[in-house]
Order: sequence, then structure tokens, then C-alpha cells
Amino acid sequence: MPQILIPAPLRQYAAGQSSVEAPGATVAEVLTALTSKYPDLRKHLFNDQGALRSFVNVYVADEDIRYLQKEQTAVSANETLTIVPSIAGGAR
Amino acid sequence: MIEILPAPWEVILGHARACYPRECCGILLGEVGADGGRRVTIAVACVNAYDGDQADRFELAPADQFEAQRLARREGLEVLGFFHSHPDCDAYFSATDLAHSWPWYSNLVVCVRQGEFDHARAFRANETQTESTPEELICPKS
Ligand SMILES: [Zn+2]
Repeated sequence: MPQILIPAPLRQYAAGQSSVEAPGATVAEVLTALTSKYPDLRKHLFNDQGALRSFVNVYVADEDIRYLQKEQTAVSANETLTIVPSIAGGAR
Repeated sequence: MIEILPAPWEVILGHARACYPRECCGILLGEVGADGGRRVTIAVACVNAYDGDQADRFELAPADQFEAQRLARREGLEVLGFFHSHPDCDAYFSATDLAHSWPWYSNLVVCVRQGEFDHARAFRANETQTESTPEELICPKS
């Protein structure tokens, strides 16, 4: 089953775990399975339209899914998804 | 509380000076103690990926974040937060900083004046990124 690495700010919504397994053949399926198991995660990963929030980047193995097939990117059973928070800012 | 050890502190200050008059940014790795106190043992200097005037904006590249997470796991550490500089500007946590932050992480802001380190402060955002609170910062004397 694919493994998902959860960044520290989101672990409180995933029973404190830093990595979780969830079934699925695409990023969308895996993340849907993840948020079915841990519903509190949903609003931190998806917007009201059900798309991935712009603050959230997802990697499958070593690749950013923005440069693959986005949420339709295929995931094999032994692959790892990494959730990467997007960070920016500025003085003004 | 967040404590920054001398080696990462030098990396942060060096990066802030080198990027002046543009904002620098980077990632803080370390440990969380039993009392919740944070200790930064590694600072990773990153490229400012903001596409525009970097005098008052920064953006971390997701690829750098991904690599830092991988490094943290390999070293048995945690990504504790991020740092960035404010060239010729006080080390406050701006509305822009808050809007593009995440809760839980420590956010170190370094003020650089005329290319030299002036002061630094740390902040944490609340769950909804509507407010930030100062975090006690322990760093080497500079
Ligand atoms: Zn800032």
C-alpha cells in the first residue's frame, strides 16, 4: 500500500503519526482514502471545491506532481507520497 | 522556545548578508525536546524562488522543502520551521508572512541593515493563519 509522509503541522489530525498507509492507484485516490480515515485532515489538504489547496505540494517518490499528471498521477503500491507545505512571505 | 546552535546561526546570518538587499530564506532542522522546546542543529540556506522583486518577498521552492524533509528523516531530525530576512526592515511577522505560513512551524525573521545583521525574532502562526505570536528565541551573541 502506498505510504504518505505527513509533515509535523498535520500529524495532530492523523493520530500523531508521521507516516500513514492508504490504498489507491492515483494521488487523488490515495489522498481520498487518507482523508476518509482521518477526516480532520481534509480541510487542510483540500479546498471547498475539493481540489488540493495551493499551500500544499505533493511528491510521488522524488517528483512534484505539478510536473506529472497532478492529482491523476499514478502511484504504485510501494511508492511514497510526501506532503510538502508551501511557504512564502515578505516584509511588506 | 527555539534555540539555534552556533553552526546553523552562522549559516543563517551568512545567507542573510549574502542575499542583501534581497530577502533570503531557508529551512531549520533539529529536535523537539520532551518539554516541547526546539533546538535547531542544521540550517539549510535555500534559493529565494519568488518570481519578482525579492527586496521584500521570498518563496521557498517545494523541491528544497522536499529535500530538507528527506534530510531530516535521514538524520532523525524534524523540519522545525523556516527563516527569512527583512533587508533594512524590522524583524516582525508581516501580514504577507502570516498569510503564506503554516501553523506549528517556527518562523525566524532576521533583520539586516546596510548588509549587516541587526536583530532577529521568532514567531508562530495560529491554526487559521490569522494571528502570530512571538516565540522565545535563544541564539548565539552576534
Ligand atoms: Zn517576513
